[in-house]
Amino acid sequence: MVEAVARANPLVPELGKIIKIVDETPDVKTFHITTEKGKPFTPLPGQLAMLSILDVGEAMFSITSQGPEHLELAIKKVGMLTEALHEAEVGQTVGIRGPYGNGFPLEMLVGKDLLFIGGGIGLAPVRSLINYCAEHREQFGHMWIIYGARSPADLCFKEDLFQNWPRVPNCRVDVTVDKGDENWTGPEGFVPAFVEKLNPSPKGKIAVTCGPPIMIKFVLQSLEKLGFQDDQIITTLEMRMKCGIGKCGRCNLGSRYVCLDGPVFTLAQLKQLPNEY
Amino acid sequence: MNTLTEKMRALARELLEKGEVKYIIGWEKGSLWYQSPPVFIDRPEDAGRLIWDEFCVNNLAKYLLDDKYLEGRVGLFVKGCDARGINRLLQDRQVERDKFYLMGIVCPGVKDPRQAAGLSIEQREEVPLAAKCLYCAHPEPVVYDVLLNEAGEAYRPKRPAGERFEDVAALEAMSPDERYEFWARQYQRCIRCYACRNVCPACNCRECIFDRSQSGWVGKRMAGSENAFYGLTRAWHVAGRCIECGECERVCPMGIPIMTLNKKIIKELNELFGEYEAGVSLEAEPPLGRYRTDDPDFS
Amino acid sequence: MLKIAKEKMPELLNAWAKIGKLYVPQDQDGVSNFLPWDGKGKLTLGQGNSVLPPKDLFFPRTETMYRYQRSGGALSLEEVVENEKQILVGIRSCDARSIALLDDVFLTKGYVDEFYRRRRENTLIVALACNVAQDTCFCTSFGIDPGRAEGVDIQVWEVDGSYILEAGTEKGRELLGQAPALLMEAGEGGLPEAPACNLKVDLAGVTEKLQQMFEHPFWAQICRKCLGCGLCTYLCPTCHCFDIQSENRGDSGIKFRCWDSCMFSEYTRMAGGHNPRPSKKERVRNRFLHKLQYFPERYGKFGCVGCGRCLSYCPVNMDITRIIGGIKEVDLNG
Ligand SMILES: Cc1cc2nc3c(=O)[nH]c(=O)nc-3n(C[C@H](O)[C@H](O)[C@H](O)COP(=O)(O)OP(=O)(O)OC[C@H]3O[C@@H](n4cnc5c(N)ncnc54)[C@H](O)[C@@H]3O)c2cc1C
Ligand code: SF4
Ligand code: SF4
Ligand code: SF4
Ligand code: SF4
Ligand code: SF4
Ligand code: FES
Repeated sequence: MVEAVARANPLVPELGKIIKIVDETPDVKTFHITTEKGKPFTPLPGQLAMLSILDVGEAMFSITSQGPEHLELAIKKVGMLTEALHEAEVGQTVGIRGPYGNGFPLEMLVGKDLLFIGGGIGLAPVRSLINYCAEHREQFGHMWIIYGARSPADLCFKEDLFQNWPRVPNCRVDVTVDKGDENWTGPEGFVPAFVEKLNPSPKGKIAVTCGPPIMIKFVLQSLEKLGFQDDQIITTLEMRMKCGIGKCGRCNLGSRYVCLDGPVFTLAQLKQLPNEY
Repeated sequence: MNTLTEKMRALARELLEKGEVKYIIGWEKGSLWYQSPPVFIDRPEDAGRLIWDEFCVNNLAKYLLDDKYLEGRVGLFVKGCDARGINRLLQDRQVERDKFYLMGIVCPGVKDPRQAAGLSIEQREEVPLAAKCLYCAHPEPVVYDVLLNEAGEAYRPKRPAGERFEDVAALEAMSPDERYEFWARQYQRCIRCYACRNVCPACNCRECIFDRSQSGWVGKRMAGSENAFYGLTRAWHVAGRCIECGECERVCPMGIPIMTLNKKIIKELNELFGEYEAGVSLEAEPPLGRYRTDDPDFS
Repeated sequence: MLKIAKEKMPELLNAWAKIGKLYVPQDQDGVSNFLPWDGKGKLTLGQGNSVLPPKDLFFPRTETMYRYQRSGGALSLEEVVENEKQILVGIRSCDARSIALLDDVFLTKGYVDEFYRRRRENTLIVALACNVAQDTCFCTSFGIDPGRAEGVDIQVWEVDGSYILEAGTEKGRELLGQAPALLMEAGEGGLPEAPACNLKVDLAGVTEKLQQMFEHPFWAQICRKCLGCGLCTYLCPTCHCFDIQSENRGDSGIKFRCWDSCMFSEYTRMAGGHNPRPSKKERVRNRFLHKLQYFPERYGKFGCVGCGRCLSYCPVNMDITRIIGGIKEVDLNG
């Protein structure tokens, strides 16, 4: 990554287009984005993109999946830019730059059993890794996906959860919601308690978790209870970001920049850094 | 050590020992002989750090906003202008009077450390009085619980007989184009550090619009027009409430004559609504802060 | 080495100003800053540091990055490429070091910041040695020599009513060659002795100590007088934080970056209002840790150059030299 980006200006986006929009939940949509020359760039699982509507704003998002010609970003409506994106239609011009961040440490995951724990929109970064592992199935051991959302309507990536991933060989998927509705027959309850009930053994496993900060906090406690060590747990962080390339200063965690040296950290690494996120 | 310093220390020690205040805000000696920055004293044994000298320039009133919900009282030293700052906060309903204990100092005038830079301590007398003191009309604190010194002749600062609105008059003498050029040049320099706002006791909004860049009111671009918009907006927001402590102009690193702007507004308000001095009395309402049905403009 | 009489300096500046936009410290309304030289300004060379550091010339307080335009349904984007030649005259050794630190930030660690690189490569730097240290200078504590700046194109000394000039780079030699009529051989005669700083800090072990002080009550104590303005970071020659924003007019607009400061509450505030640095304790701590721990950890150098600007101008005199002293005195077991 080091010198490859040296001359193209990393702060200036390329223009691209939204070619498909998938409604995931009432406040999450997945956007498929491409440029004239095809896929803007080829990210590693867990890497990030800066997406902009030029006259509105620019923000960092995980690249949740990719095809040969496009990138996919799942975006929750929270503010100015994300609202404008939710109003956008297919064909809308956007700016995109990246890929940023370290991505998941694949070398550490190869040959291991993998436990993926996601909550809400937090499944977005983890999904890129799940899809990668499914495509390179022989390189990884057992896959176990545990996911939860507030309500059945808030479940993201339903097609993956209920159709695609259960069909991946040697892969188990468990889904919970905080509170079900009349049609929901699956489990109810918060993700951390759900994880403890499912009681995955830490042996030979790596856990990858992402979700709202409060969920992460309790999932980490649950994993600890189950006997997972700090170097068996991987999570991704969010900080406010502007440049994405370790210059503007704002996403620092100690001497690391989350946009550049993160967003993926093992719990062991995080414990070496100031508790300021 | 001067007697006022001794008195300050003794009183601070006593108040802390008796538990009458949780902590005390005063001034201490900085690294250089001409620096006397604010200090917070929590323990009686630290009272010896407090000092009084001519460089105790900082207005300490604003710190009361940092601890509005403290259980117990804060002890605070106040000069004349600081005391008006206290009234500012009280009148704006930002703080409650029983939450602090005021130790008043009749102020002989203070000096701006930046004007002492480069001089040796032997030249101490040569450092001029701070700009804000040249037109100060209230060296005696207008509000206090205890007064530490007397307003005797000896304490009367030797102020040059400066016209309060001298700088304003100079500006008014300019043509509109010259005036525009003058202010454009000044605000071209502004770096939007917001030191002037953050030091100001009249700038006490819980959330300032300039901290909400998304609001779209003002761009974050540091360009003359945006900067001037900031400066003007702030001037309007403190209009009729500015206590003339001069802190904003003192702290501005870029030498922008903020007080000239403030005084121009004060002068206009005086002419329109009658003489008024903000922060001198709690009873007198700020000219732009009152609502009357007999107002000539009310219809 | 070459020489020019002090009163001839404006002529040399005039000659150089034909080669590129020349910035030199000048007085405007009583404030000394690097301003474009038009042959008429009031030079403040030799009168201590400018209020604003020269970083403004490489990393302007506001800089347009690109423009966009909508016409019909199509949107176009154009990067703003600034390639103007600049000559920066009269920077001090501390500020010269700060530029080396900004180079580390903007030019290394995976990405090159092209906006910075262009301005940096298009700028010739002429440094002026200090004859006297100001009360607030402590550059020597960082191993900086006030008598000779690092990595500059030309070094200048003021001696007995003259300036002595020495090229440090090929580009500097070329610049000296541009005004042969004004410069004469300096001949023998020594250079002035570099001044000693009265203010000193002992930096030994500070970074290591800070690595164990993140949770220490020290920060809650020292932060109390801070007003949370951005003055110290905007005046600091090594602070490099910026924000990116856009400004729109009808169908067109610009994306610009502008200085930002970790002392502002908005700086780290996130969606839903969560702020990892909610109060001035965290913000003051971040500033000092960045200068004294994080910068050394990341780039192997202190992020302060001892220029003294924050000491002179902080409204409440938050004094980094005292804070370093305070860090040394902290009892980690107490
Ligand atoms: C590494 C990383 C990965 C992310 N991945 C995703 C993702 O896959 N899907 C997704 O929907 N969101 C993701 N986010 C969050 C996303 O960046 C924010 O939701 C987005 O910036 C909000 O922009 P906005 O203009 O709509 O909101 P704004 O109108 O800018 O602001 C709404 C609120 O969000 C705050 N905010 C601004 N920028 C950020 C930021 N970068 N992070 C957090 N809060 C911010 C503002 O202070 C404000 O309080 C990610 C963030 C990071 C840092
Ligand atoms: S505007 Fe200036 S002079 Fe007026 S109260 Fe505020 S700081 Fe004091
Ligand atoms: S203190 Fe001066 S430079 Fe800073 S924002 Fe105020 S006017 Fe601008
Ligand atoms: S340290 Fe001083 S200059 Fe910096 S933010 Fe605090 S008060 Fe402002
Ligand atoms: S921290 Fe202060 S002394 Fe150090 S380089 Fe920055 S402004 Fe200068
Ligand atoms: S994080 Fe703060 S101290 Fe560090 S460079 Fe940015 S503004 Fe300066
Ligand atoms: S987003 Fe700019 S440093 Fe990380």
